[in-house]
Amino acid sequence: MSADVELDHLTIRFGNFIALSDANLRIPAGSFFSFLGPSGCGKTTILRAISGFLDPSEGHVRIGGEDMAGIPPNNRPTALIFQNLALFPLMKVWENIAFGLEVRRVPKAQRRERAQELLELIALPNQGEKLVSELSGGQRQRVAIARALAVEPEVLLLDEPLSALDLKLRQHMRTELRAIQQRVGITFIYITHDQGEALIMSDQIAVMSQGVIQQIGSGPDIYENPKTPFVASFVGENNAFAGRVASADAGHAAVETIFGALRGRNPAGLKVGDQAVLFVRPEILQLGAGTQGNALKSKVLAKEFEGFASHIHLANSQGERHISFSTSQEEALGISPGEEATVHFSPDRAIALPQGELAHE
Amino acid sequence: MSSAALTRVMTLFYVALFFAYLFGPLVLMGISAFNTEKYPTAVPWSGFTLEWFNKLFNDTDLVRGFQNSLIIGAGVVVLSVPIGLAAAIIMSQLHKRARSIYYAVVLSPMLTPGVIIGISTLVFWDRLGTALDAEWDTFFYDGIFLSILGQTSFISTFCMLIFIARLQRFDRAQEEAALDLGASHLRVFFRILIPFLRPAVFAAIVLAFLTSFENYNTTVFTIVSESTLTTVLAGKVRLGTDPSISALAVLIILITLVGATAIELRKRAEERKIAAQLAAEKGL
Repeated sequence: MSADVELDHLTIRFGNFIALSDANLRIPAGSFFSFLGPSGCGKTTILRAISGFLDPSEGHVRIGGEDMAGIPPNNRPTALIFQNLALFPLMKVWENIAFGLEVRRVPKAQRRERAQELLELIALPNQGEKLVSELSGGQRQRVAIARALAVEPEVLLLDEPLSALDLKLRQHMRTELRAIQQRVGITFIYITHDQGEALIMSDQIAVMSQGVIQQIGSGPDIYENPKTPFVASFVGENNAFAGRVASADAGHAAVETIFGALRGRNPAGLKVGDQAVLFVRPEILQLGAGTQGNALKSKVLAKEFEGFASHIHLANSQGERHISFSTSQEEALGISPGEEATVHFSPDRAIALPQGELAHE
Repeated sequence: MSSAALTRVMTLFYVALFFAYLFGPLVLMGISAFNTEKYPTAVPWSGFTLEWFNKLFNDTDLVRGFQNSLIIGAGVVVLSVPIGLAAAIIMSQLHKRARSIYYAVVLSPMLTPGVIIGISTLVFWDRLGTALDAEWDTFFYDGIFLSILGQTSFISTFCMLIFIARLQRFDRAQEEAALDLGASHLRVFFRILIPFLRPAVFAAIVLAFLTSFENYNTTVFTIVSESTLTTVLAGKVRLGTDPSISALAVLIILITLVGATAIELRKRAEERKIAAQLAAEKGL
């Protein structure tokens, strides 16, 4: 069984501080949904409200169409995976997994059997008799998932469960988590500040900043069509050029930047004279002047080598770092710091948005 | 004599002095328990006897006092361990400012002189009994009941401190995880919190019992017409004594030694087990 989750004008305040402001969204049953945002953006607050550890100040949480107001965490069809996992150190692995069943007074033989099945699901057969402390970080991770799945929740909530793992394991667990979700077919709601995790695993992502949901969409949609400067600068790398709109039509706007007028798409309907920010992703920048305009003359500030690619940082005439982009090793060979360089980009792939909050690195 | 040799000699002398100071009285008392002399003394040695042990077991006052001490100790454990635990849990849930006020309040019995706790317990229940027109044989005037209450008032604070120390290492997320998996608060308490606190519960029981057992200055007031081991002993010392007290001391020392050795042996066995496990894992 899997249920959809609906947030209806959900607001949560702590005293005067608004942790979450008027969140409205519907998470379809059986999907993998991520809340993505920097720390302190209110994403954990949302998770605790859905699981029942926090009461809404205003609005409603509905799971499977049912209003959850007044229903405590132990009676909700949700299971939460904690950031530090919160496994029970004094119980064996199988007892950990079967704890939810023990609570529901399932006979011991059945509990063992179910724990065994789940251990196989998470690829840890025959580890049931161990103590949690005898497992590695990735194994504990999977035990925490099995423990949550044992109670057959309709919605599984995950609070940055991968943040404590090292890079390789984290990359492996991303794939693993997605595979588990597709096997069990229940709704996964995932909290993370790591855009890579969100983009790889999710059907849909909600990007958050300062208690406000900025945009909801699929990974490619959020990446290609950011609605706010925050989303554009938080999700993926982006070069931001602020300036006034010099000319605009239905499809494109030209922004007067320190590199001259540069053109990009204009989904927000900017008008001449508006303050705007033009976002240019590093991967759309190409060396050379191109044919469609949109060429930036600059100086090479630094070159960084990172295996599959080299990152080039370009400066404007004042020597300030303004543009970063990546290029293949062959191309990078022809560039060295201090030299002049010209790059260009296609106006259809850059995007101009009204001025607003940017994400801080 | 070289200075190194001098240092060595002085160190040995100091260590000898230290142990003599620590164990001298116990040794002398131990010897006196087996000496035929009428007063507890190691010299002059006038012959070996077990008579004082015989006398000890036939001393009805002492035996009764000892029994009362056991009963009071058990009563204090039963009351102060749960109270201490509850107080510690409340402490762990309070916010900062309330916590320091609460801490001062619950710690105050420990800082109050035992004599005052004894007298006030006695006076309070006596007044209450009088006000309610209670008979003399009701619990308002019962020494064992009053001693248990009087001692509990500060021993539960000791227990609380033990539990607070352990609770500080408790990961609250475990509690939330258990709740989230459907457990009731009661089950979280018994299945998650109590197992975690088990070493502290054991320590609190031992501490509460021993503190109660050896308490004198509160008990001497609250015990009224009854007696405990400590009050009987105090009475004996005042009236002049015989070596049966030494015999009692020897027994208590023996019990302590056996208990301490047993715990130490168990601890070492566990350490060996863990070491063996670690070695086995490294071998893999």
